[in-house]
Amino acid sequence: MTWDFLLREFASQFGLWYAIVPGILIGIVVGALPGFSAQNTLIILLPLTLAVPVHTALAFMIALYCATHLAGGIPAILVKIPGTGGAAATTIDGYPMTQKGQAQHALVLCFTASVFGGLISTVVTLGLLPWLSKVGLYLRSVEMVVVMLFGLTLIAVIAAKDLLKGLIAGLFGLLIGVIGTDHIYNTPRATFGFLELYDGVPLVPALIGLFAISEALVMIESKMIVRKEGRARAADAHWADTVEGLRMAASKWWHIVWTSFVGLFIGIIPGAGASIAAFVAYQQSRMWSKHPELYGTGIPEGVIAPESANNGVTSGTLVPMMALGVPGGSTAAVMMIVLQYQGIVLGPRLFTTNPEIAYGVFISMAVAYVFMLFTILPLARYMSRIVLIETNYLVPVIMLMTTVAAFAGRQYQFDMALALVFGVIGYIAHKTDYHVTAILIGVILGPLFEEYLVRSLRISEGQLSILFSSTIANTLWALLVVSLALPLVRVWLKRRAET
Amino acid sequence: MSTSQTPGTKVPLGADLLIPVLALALAVYFFVSIADLSWEAKANGMLIGSALVVLSAVQLVRVGVKVWAGAASLGLDRLLLPREVLAKRIGMVALTALFIASMNWLGLTLAVFLATMAALALMGVRRRSQLFWTPFGVSAAAYVMFVAILDSQFPHGPVEMLLARLF
Repeated sequence: MTWDFLLREFASQFGLWYAIVPGILIGIVVGALPGFSAQNTLIILLPLTLAVPVHTALAFMIALYCATHLAGGIPAILVKIPGTGGAAATTIDGYPMTQKGQAQHALVLCFTASVFGGLISTVVTLGLLPWLSKVGLYLRSVEMVVVMLFGLTLIAVIAAKDLLKGLIAGLFGLLIGVIGTDHIYNTPRATFGFLELYDGVPLVPALIGLFAISEALVMIESKMIVRKEGRARAADAHWADTVEGLRMAASKWWHIVWTSFVGLFIGIIPGAGASIAAFVAYQQSRMWSKHPELYGTGIPEGVIAPESANNGVTSGTLVPMMALGVPGGSTAAVMMIVLQYQGIVLGPRLFTTNPEIAYGVFISMAVAYVFMLFTILPLARYMSRIVLIETNYLVPVIMLMTTVAAFAGRQYQFDMALALVFGVIGYIAHKTDYHVTAILIGVILGPLFEEYLVRSLRISEGQLSILFSSTIANTLWALLVVSLALPLVRVWLKRRAET
Repeated sequence: MSTSQTPGTKVPLGADLLIPVLALALAVYFFVSIADLSWEAKANGMLIGSALVVLSAVQLVRVGVKVWAGAASLGLDRLLLPREVLAKRIGMVALTALFIASMNWLGLTLAVFLATMAALALMGVRRRSQLFWTPFGVSAAAYVMFVAILDSQFPHGPVEMLLARLF
C-alpha cells in the first residue's frame, strides 16, 4: 500500500458521493428508528446492492452502516429510547442533558464524537491492516477451523445472555450451514427432499428471516414505537446552540480519541459489537474521571464516551471479515454476503488479489465520515420526529417487503418461504434469548468450517489430532477454553460471595 | 422473565426447549441422512451434531430439573404473551405464507398491494384512505424496484402485463 494508492482510492471514493450521501441519509433515518438496524435495512435493499457494481455497493453499505451507529444516539438523547443497541449507554447522560434544556448540545456532542471517533479508528485500522493481513497468512486450514470455532464461541459468550443458549444457537446455525451437498462427492445431506437446498442453505433468506421478519413479529407487541410522553418530547425537539455544542466537543478532544480506541479494539472481537463497546467506554470514562459522581446527571463526557466508542466499532467489526473472512457482527455478515455474491473471496489473500476492495472498504468509511459531518448537523432538528411512526404501518411493510427481497438473490419462490421459516425460528430465538446473531454467524460459517475441517482431516487421513498440531492452533484452543471458562468462573465466584 | 414472577408462581420455561428440540431434531435427521456416506461427507456433521446433541441434552436436563423441583413449568408464555397480539402475530405469519403462495396467480404488484392492505387491516388500520394509499405506495415501490429497475424474475400478473403493454 503506497501513498499514491491511498490518494487514488480516496479520490475515487469521493467520486462515489451519489452512493454515499443516500447511504448516510437512509442510515440516519434507520438509526433513529428503534427496532430498525443497519443489517435489516441492508437486507431490504439487498437486491439494489447486488445489482450495482461492487465498489458502489460497498460505498453505499458502509455509509449506511456508519450513519446508523451515529443516528442511534438521536432518540436516545431526545426521548431516552436508543435507536440502536449501541446507543443504549448514551441515554444515561444524554437524556438528562435534554431534561436540563441542553438537547441541542447533547446532539452536537453525539454527532461530533461519533464522526471523529469513527474517523480516528478508521485511520488507525488502515494503518494496521497490512500487519493484520500478514497475520492472516499464517493461518492454515487447521488454524482456520479453530479461528471459526473461537469466533462463534466469543459471540456465544459475549452476545448471548446465557452461555449454554449461545453455544446451542451457534452450533444450530453451524449445522444448518452444513445442509446441502458435501464438498468432495456432492452427495446431498439433510435437504428435506428439496432440490433448492442442494447448494446449501441460501444466506439471504436466512438473514431476512432471522433479523427482519423475527424483529417485525416482536415489534407487533408495541402499538407505537414511542410512549405518549416520548411522543410529546419528540415533537418539541428544536434547533439551538450548535456552535456551543461544537465548542464543548472540541474541549473534550482527548476523550473522543481514547474512547474511539476502546471501540476499535472491542469491534475487532467477533460478536462483541457496539453495545458492549459503548458500555465499556462509558464505564472506563467514569472510572478515570476526576468527578465520577457527576456521571448520570447529564455531562458531556457521558455522551462523548459511548458515542465515540460505538462508532469506533464500525471499522473494528470489519477487520476480521476482511482479514480472516469471519464476520465480526451481523451487519458485517450482510456485507460479506454481498461481497461473496459479487465473487469476492474474503480472507488474507484479498489484500493481494483485490487490494482496492480490502483497503477501499476502510477508505470508503473514512470518506463517509467526512461526508457525514456536513450532512448530519443541519438535519439533526428534524430527525427526532421519525420515532413517531406507528408500528401498525411498519410491521406489514417490513414483513412483506423483506419477504419479497428474499426472492431477489436466487429468483426462487422457495427462498421466500424459507425466509418465513427462519423468521419463526428467529422469533422463538429472540423471545427465549437464544441469540439470532449466533445462529446467523453459524449458518454463514457452516460451509467454510466444513471446507477447512475436511481439508485438515484429509491431510491427517481422518485423525482429529491434527487440530492440535500447531502452536497457533493450540494457543487459540487455550484461548477458546479460557473464554468459555471465564463466565462460568465468574458465576461460581458470585455465588460463593453470596453464600 | 423470572424477575416479574410473583412468589409461588412457576417460571414458564417450555419455550426455552423449542430451539434445543429443533436442534436435536435436525441433528438426528442429519445423522440419518449421512449414515451411508463416506467419512469426508460425514465428519463435519458428526462433529457439530454430536456437540449439539450434548448441549441440547444439557439444556433439556437443566429445564427438566427446574420443572421437577417445582420452580418452573413447561408453559409457553414467553412466546405467547401478550395474548392480545397473538392473533395479529399468527395472522401476519399466515398472511405472509398466503402472500407467497398467491404470487404465482396475482403477480408481484397485485399480491403486494392486496397483502399490504390485508396486513394493515389486521394490524388495526381502519381509515380507508390509508388502507388504499399505503398499499398503493408499497406495491408501486415494489414494482419500480424489482420489476422496472432490477428486472427480477418475479411472477407476472395482470398489473405487470398491463404495464408491459403500456410502456
